[in-house]
Amino acid sequence: MTKPAQPGHVPDATAALYERSGAAAYGMSAERFAAILDEVVHKYFLSGSAQYSAQRLPHASAQQKADFCAGLRLEELALARACAAGNERAWQDFISRYRQKLHGMALHITRDGAHAADLADSLFADLYGMNAREQVRKSKLLSYTGRGSLEGWLRTVMAQEFINRYRKQKRTVSLEEQTEEGIQFAAATPEPACTSDPRLEAATDEALAELSSEDRFTLASYYLDGRTLAEIAATLGLHESSVSRRLDRLATGLRKRILAALRMQGMSHAQAVEAMEADVRDIRLNLRSRLTQDSAATTFPGSSKIPARDAGDGSTD
Amino acid sequence: MIEVPKIVYDRLRSPRKDRALPDTGLSEREHPDADLLTAFVEQTLSATERDDMLEHLALCGDCREVIVLALPIADVAAAPTPAETEADRAIPALAKPGRSWLNLAWPDLRWAALAAGVVVAASLLLVHPGRLNQALLPSSNRQVASPAPPVSGAQIASSAIPSSIAPPPEQLPISAKSKSNKVRPNSEMQLSKKLKAGEIAAPHTAQSGMMVANNRKEPLQAGPVPAAPSTGDVTLAASTPPPTTETVEVSAAAPALVQASPTEGNLMAENAAPPVLKAKPPLSVTWTITAGVLQRSLDSGQSWQDALRPNHPLLCYASHDQEIWTGGQAGTLFYSTDGGVTWLQVQPSIKARQLSSNVTHIELRGDELRGDELRRPAQILLSTSDNETWISVDGGKTWEKH
Repeated sequence: MTKPAQPGHVPDATAALYERSGAAAYGMSAERFAAILDEVVHKYFLSGSAQYSAQRLPHASAQQKADFCAGLRLEELALARACAAGNERAWQDFISRYRQKLHGMALHITRDGAHAADLADSLFADLYGMNAREQVRKSKLLSYTGRGSLEGWLRTVMAQEFINRYRKQKRTVSLEEQTEEGIQFAAATPEPACTSDPRLEAATDEALAELSSEDRFTLASYYLDGRTLAEIAATLGLHESSVSRRLDRLATGLRKRILAALRMQGMSHAQAVEAMEADVRDIRLNLRSRLTQDSAATTFPGSSKIPARDAGDGSTD
Repeated sequence: MIEVPKIVYDRLRSPRKDRALPDTGLSEREHPDADLLTAFVEQTLSATERDDMLEHLALCGDCREVIVLALPIADVAAAPTPAETEADRAIPALAKPGRSWLNLAWPDLRWAALAAGVVVAASLLLVHPGRLNQALLPSSNRQVASPAPPVSGAQIASSAIPSSIAPPPEQLPISAKSKSNKVRPNSEMQLSKKLKAGEIAAPHTAQSGMMVANNRKEPLQAGPVPAAPSTGDVTLAASTPPPTTETVEVSAAAPALVQASPTEGNLMAENAAPPVLKAKPPLSVTWTITAGVLQRSLDSGQSWQDALRPNHPLLCYASHDQEIWTGGQAGTLFYSTDGGVTWLQVQPSIKARQLSSNVTHIELRGDELRGDELRRPAQILLSTSDNETWISVDGGKTWEKH
């Protein structure tokens, strides 16, 4: 199925997927559909580009690729690509399914009517491909590959766009506003490490390194980002109480491990406790400014890094 | 929540250099695209991909922010239903206790929950001393709950809950309610099951708080629907809050369009009627799955209510007219033929091998789909995460693998 589509002929497996996708209803030929699958497979299995694709397996078997294709959201993929190709019926379907949802999403993300309308309109323009580059209409829907739901993808794209804008706005904030916000002369930021005990840092790093990435993600989401248990649970597909128990376990475990590591380095129990509880709020303030001015990232198209939002900002409690 | 030492905040923010650039060669500046982020939240990434994604997310505040911003509204506005401990239970999203309540209650109220369980058992004994044995028999895997007679309190059907297990904390208010339930059954087993289902489930709804309050609807009538022969864990059915008694609201499965006569409901309950669909389904239903929960909109997407929230996250759905099928992780598969008023679980199996992988795609097929008729689809196709295709041509009763 992953072979380049021959005119008038696609492999049986692809033909079955084509039928499943309902792409014919949007006037998409089996060959075109096969080419799209080919492109998706290429992206996730073969792409040598810098694209994040953890599953890059140049030697994946044909069966693996076929299985991968069968697991895609084929119907939504067909819809998205038919829209990108300008099929009218596809657009009608798309609008009827997602238009209102998109506005709801925008309102949810921006929490402001005017900004929401702006964000939704801008996304629609991108989806239509109205921001023509090089005189060619290029719909953002072309980048949808059907790994997740189309609706979820739309929400994610919108969130990325929102963050990009937020970041741009942040960068253009005047010096006075920065001062009002408590972000003072970021350029003068010292290295954060200089004020904390290197032994403590090493002990903490070690303790964190022993954790799984999921645990570190949970810690960062809760303690750094101020996310609610419900939000973390939703992102991990867990129950809130599981997240709560995990956080308790992690916090207790970290404390123990750090203390143990410090004592290994010759500190008394009292010294170790004192070192661990040393207040690093000043450091954090500096870090915040450092993150604010760090703008070299290429996160999402046309964007760079933003500071973490204030704790609780993203929560809905 | 236990605080962590402040140094942990510091080190989470600026991790050791060797972790800032993971082994995969992904730098913090190389971000997963919207496709992968979406698939991550929807739990459809492969294990390797998920690990890499988490590695990235642990370091990248931007992407963490994106995935939370992109969460479906319902997921962040309310907490999920409780009780992972009752593994075989599926509950249409009824109650969403707030975060603070959850923190307080779990696990602190564990003993209170146990006490509540004892009260339930005692009340069963009081109401029907002679029936206790039947009531405590292990429940069958599948139960179809039918509406209670009008004399009883409003009830909502839930699932098989072994009575030997203490109910979770959210069922605390059981005692008051269970005593007021006076159900007069015709058949012993049916009674005890109904009683159990009603009493144990009711507190869920009583707890449902804001969500439910917002969803107050006209009384609706839903009868039992045919149970598919293949066994499943749970059957869910919405039932009628009689207008004169204390009401328990059904937030999820409550299309506000139907009102059936009490006589009808009574009759059905008394006879434990054969599968007859009494609920007139909503006219225009729109579905979506957000983070594992099936949601339904009756107003073309302006507002959404949770329709089904099983133990395992849902991943996909397919609908045609009033028939909707939805599948998710660990072989979860439910369907409704009345626009989501009542749900039946199906456990697809072939030669005693049960479907246990994730259902990633569902397709309803058949010529009927082309027309406007309300006939049922001729074929149901499931795609699974291990890339099998399961097909049923008899509405989910038997399956073939392709």
